[in-house]
Amino acid sequence: MKLAGVLVTLLGFIVSILSLLLGSTAGRLAVVLLGLALSLFGIIGILNRAHLKNPIWKKG
Amino acid sequence: MTLHCLLLLVLSLCVVLPSSSQTPSVSAAASTPASASKPITDSDLANVPVPAADARAKGDTDGSQTGTASDISVSDAKKGITIGDLANQVGQNKIAINFVWTLITGFLVMFMQLGFALLESGLARAKNANHTMMMNLVVYGVGMLAYWLIGFSIQMGGVGAIANLGGTPPLNAEYVITLFGKPFGLFGQHGLFLMHGGTYDVGVMVLFLFQMVFMDTGATIPTGAAAERWKFSAFIVTSFLFAAFTYPLFANWAWGGGWLSNLGANFGLGKGYVDFAGSGVVHAVGGLSALAIAMILGPRIGKFTRNGRPQAILAHDIVIVLTGCLILAFGWFGFNPGSTLGASGNGALRIGSIAANTMLASASGLLSAMLYMWLVYRKPDASMTGNGFLAGLVAITAPCAFVNPVGAVLIGLLAGVLVCLSVSFVERVLKIDDPVGAVSVHGTCGIWGVISVGLFADGKSNYGGSWNGVNGSVTGLFYGDASQLVAQLLGVATLLGFVFVLSFVFGFVIDLIVGQRVSAKSELQGLDLPEMGAVAYPEFELKAEM
Repeated sequence: MKLAGVLVTLLGFIVSILSLLLGSTAGRLAVVLLGLALSLFGIIGILNRAHLKNPIWKKG
Repeated sequence: MTLHCLLLLVLSLCVVLPSSSQTPSVSAAASTPASASKPITDSDLANVPVPAADARAKGDTDGSQTGTASDISVSDAKKGITIGDLANQVGQNKIAINFVWTLITGFLVMFMQLGFALLESGLARAKNANHTMMMNLVVYGVGMLAYWLIGFSIQMGGVGAIANLGGTPPLNAEYVITLFGKPFGLFGQHGLFLMHGGTYDVGVMVLFLFQMVFMDTGATIPTGAAAERWKFSAFIVTSFLFAAFTYPLFANWAWGGGWLSNLGANFGLGKGYVDFAGSGVVHAVGGLSALAIAMILGPRIGKFTRNGRPQAILAHDIVIVLTGCLILAFGWFGFNPGSTLGASGNGALRIGSIAANTMLASASGLLSAMLYMWLVYRKPDASMTGNGFLAGLVAITAPCAFVNPVGAVLIGLLAGVLVCLSVSFVERVLKIDDPVGAVSVHGTCGIWGVISVGLFADGKSNYGGSWNGVNGSVTGLFYGDASQLVAQLLGVATLLGFVFVLSFVFGFVIDLIVGQRVSAKSELQGLDLPEMGAVAYPEFELKAEM
């Protein structure tokens, strides 16, 4: 899960960089926002959730 | 009626009397055309009167005889003063002003270390005060040496000429790859040990000192988020890696001539990624590293109940917390105005508006956070008011040089509310324990600062007619340039998708090798004794763990 979170977060960065291949500002904006959403999902939706699977407050 | 008469009198006086404010009046002489003059020659300079030696020997009580033509260095004593000597002295004076300005503002930024130390130690419990203070002290030494060894080279080794500091010509080796048919600068190569590549240079030394204290500000941010449970050895390794690699890489891309700064020149995105004093480079990098470490460490024992509900763990000394906030705000006048790297040169006089914007955003951030807490939680919470103060400062750090005062106030206002919402989100939704709110203050509001450049930059600044190699002034969406916002968002994408990932990977590996978290026994006892060998307040009997 943690590896998946790292990879999805990194993928968001790569998608954002790929926006530079487009010509229009609006198109670039849309792709960068998509990349940002992916990275946020990787951090909050996958990586953090993986850390909350067995949190300290549920132990002992 | 009397009041009306008084008002009329005051108004009429305002109209009739000349201005008595600090604004200089334009004299009649200034408007008359200058009389025809012949060019100055060396012989004219030789005849400039200088104070006689016997007059000087009696002392200069009013200062009129100190600092005259006799103080100008001459290249040939036989010839006396020449036009060339005069021009060289003017050039040296310009660079001297900039050196002194940059060094003194750098010293102010170094003083912020004390602000962080007090803020974080005050927010921690008394049983961890020594440990938290020590982290804030030791990060200075560890970070500085790592940055001297390699970090500065990665960040600034290929920055090119910095005119305000006399050119810094040895910093001319950027490692560049080609991507999408354009050059992508990745890291600098000169400056290892401040010796390699001719970097034993006065201008480079000034730049190193200034950039070092910036890096150290970023490096100290994770110590707050990881307070009260971070193993000291893991903290040292983390700080070393932060100063050597994590921070310098992003700083190179933004400030050292790297690919983000060239998005304008290479891809037509505004003036490239713009981050004047480091909302992104310093604060978001530090805040996202803090997020990665806090995530890996997990929350302190007792922070969440068995069903995951957050519990308040109270600060042990709110007085030193707010003292720390005020020291940080004072140091910020080095952080932002100092980032001109000079007080003389193209656009350097914008230091006035940069300082004013910094001040305004801090005030509006403070007030909006305080009012938010007062309205929502019925009390003007002290620590969150302090965090709002810092949030305004963090947010204005990137745009301070490009926005007008109204923009600065709006940026600060939004930052003050944003930090309150973010602290609540991090704690209640993400269930991440951040004892000082570092992720929200520096991460969230740092990102907001980066974005705000792309919205509020008013196109009125002028730093030599161009920025990042693109002609014109930095202009945001609200003033007509949407492409600047895209450049800023690409910077944010890099922060989230690269800087966070790198920090997480470093943290994960350190956790595997050294272990990031102290034992439960040490944590319950307080880290002062098991980790540091001495408690901060030996005369006080501390309460048992709840």
